[in-house]
Amino acid sequence: MTMHGMRGLSVFISDVRNCQNKDQERLRIDKELGNVRNRFKNEKGLTPYEKKKYVWKMLYIYMLGYDVDFGHMKAVSLISAPKYPEKQVGYIVTSCLLNENHDFLRLAINTVRNDIIGRNETFQCLALTMVGNIGGREFAESLAPDVQKLLLSSSCRPLVRKKAALCLLRLYRKNPDIVNVDGWADRMAQLLDERDLGVLTSSMSLLVALVSNNHEAYWSCLPKCVKILERLARNQDVPQEYTYYGIPSPWLQVKTMRVLQYFPTIEDPYTRRTLFEVLQRILMGTDVVKNVNKNNASHAVLFEALALVMHLDAEKEMMSQCVALLGKFIAVREPNIRYLGLENMTRMLMVTDVQEIIKRHQAQIITSLKDPDVSIRRRALDLLYGMCDVTNAKDIVEELLQYLSSADFTMREELSLKAAILAEKFAPDLSWYVDVILQLIDKAGDFISDDIWFRVVQFVTNNDDLQTYAAAKVKEYLDKPAVHETMVKVSAYILGEYSHLLARRPGCSPKEIFSLLHEKLPTVSTTTIPILLSAYAKILMHIHPPDQELQSQIWAIFF
Amino acid sequence: MIHFVLLISRQGKVRLTKWYSPYSQKERTKVIRELGGVILSRGPKLCNFVDWRGFKVVYKRYASLYFCMCIDQDDNELEVLEIIHHFVEILDRYFGSVCELDLIFNFHKAYYILDELLLAGELQETSKKTVARLIAAQDSLVETAKEQQGSISNIIAQATK
Repeated sequence: MTMHGMRGLSVFISDVRNCQNKDQERLRIDKELGNVRNRFKNEKGLTPYEKKKYVWKMLYIYMLGYDVDFGHMKAVSLISAPKYPEKQVGYIVTSCLLNENHDFLRLAINTVRNDIIGRNETFQCLALTMVGNIGGREFAESLAPDVQKLLLSSSCRPLVRKKAALCLLRLYRKNPDIVNVDGWADRMAQLLDERDLGVLTSSMSLLVALVSNNHEAYWSCLPKCVKILERLARNQDVPQEYTYYGIPSPWLQVKTMRVLQYFPTIEDPYTRRTLFEVLQRILMGTDVVKNVNKNNASHAVLFEALALVMHLDAEKEMMSQCVALLGKFIAVREPNIRYLGLENMTRMLMVTDVQEIIKRHQAQIITSLKDPDVSIRRRALDLLYGMCDVTNAKDIVEELLQYLSSADFTMREELSLKAAILAEKFAPDLSWYVDVILQLIDKAGDFISDDIWFRVVQFVTNNDDLQTYAAAKVKEYLDKPAVHETMVKVSAYILGEYSHLLARRPGCSPKEIFSLLHEKLPTVSTTTIPILLSAYAKILMHIHPPDQELQSQIWAIFF
Repeated sequence: MIHFVLLISRQGKVRLTKWYSPYSQKERTKVIRELGGVILSRGPKLCNFVDWRGFKVVYKRYASLYFCMCIDQDDNELEVLEIIHHFVEILDRYFGSVCELDLIFNFHKAYYILDELLLAGELQETSKKTVARLIAAQDSLVETAKEQQGSISNIIAQATK
């Protein structure tokens, strides 16, 4: 373990770690905070080393979860320090503790600007880093022109230009107006000729943001991006240090493909063909290897390529290849790949035509719904929801209902809502739909909003054929020992309106229906009581000839 | 983009946090507690991605530490997983087989290194060699300043004897 020297800091950290419990820790922290406060008051007596030490101590205390607001000013003030070691601490700690909403960050703008436009490269880097990490709108307005200058300056070293690109990205995100599009289209195209892969990667991130807001201005960048991708995919001119486990800068490949996804089409046939060749090679040539990191990196590239293929609306054959690949992925043991397979299949659904091919994998997807990993279960649910149509709705909804009983609470609401929507959208017949909703209420009543049971009631009201069926079904549920309050609500409504249709069936006389409902009255909340009471009144109204005994019984409740 | 980076131990102790989106102090505490709970309760054989509050969190456990990065829904998950690994490899190289204790006592170094790896929530440098060189240069700048400080103090001490 290398000690990178700050004895006072290490001793303090050891002290804190040796505390036996939270109270002791709090005592030690408070003591230190008191000490730091005191020393900060008498600032003239502090050596640069001590200033650094105390500011780092503050950050450490902050990381433990304690409040160090009093020290923010001190950290910011170190930014103005004349020497590198203190300045560095000031910049870094400020960017850890503060964010763009802290007012007095503004106080540092002048110092920061001086560092950016000054001749000291290391100071420039410190400033660009902090502004890139926590700069807000004001920084954007004051500093954008200076940062732009650095990015485009040929006399600046790659290190500075790399940081300037990402710093500019941040400022752009805070205020898009700072980039004058007219000027920038050419400049971005120029930046894409950059040899240094660090600068190129940063510039590509900047380009993603610019293009996502306005691809029209940046058409000239398109062929260059394809060229870059081709160069990387063929491993041409890629320095060893930019190769990751044998893969030429996978991150740059991914970023470049991301940029290409913001252009609606590729007009030039040569560029288009080149790109498709590269993509084809990635799709077909990405093998599974033993080394986890190489595997992840090559598959990161593969999945991005898939996204690009989908976006480009390739020919049917390439699309089928993609679905075939995804079909393989959703069945592998490796959970990350399974997760991504499911997620990307869901994305593919946006592209029509593939729905039928995806449905061939239905069984595997349903298996994923029961995966031990909740992340995978969520993706499976999204996919099933997306691939549902009239032909498979019954199967899918029934699977969802089955799964609902064992699903964890975090998923139940989404699960119920999706099942309800699918049931309504694709119901082969209405009685099935009523069944499904009642099952949902029975299994997950807590997560069924009022909207859902209102709709059931609407359907039943508007469909005479459904009314007897619905009444009989809800009565079945009411007969059960435990009934959810939402079930009581919907049953009371339906039985109030339509129980007379059941009157001849055993156990369904008005008296029996009334007592079945009435025994729930003490168990329900005030929102349900009016529904029950209206039900009693309606039941009475439907009895011909009137039943005096039942009538007096019910009137007694009302009066 | 990466909205924040969080390193927590198996007991939920924070070893490093860096925020690239504006989260207030209160929000940060809440996020750490909530997300920490979610991540630490996940078993070993599960995937490295979690849906959380409309974002995705990519995480990986290295010995006793969980490295977590919060990204947007449509970001490339595997790419970020390898950014985490890239970070770990750089730390490993710098500390010489890094362990949690290194990051506890030298957390300030970890922040310096992170600042060369990520900027504005994006990957800044993909060459480990370059990052190592940059950090070494920074270290020597600090050493030089110390020495100068030392020699100036000596001169003053001599002169005022």
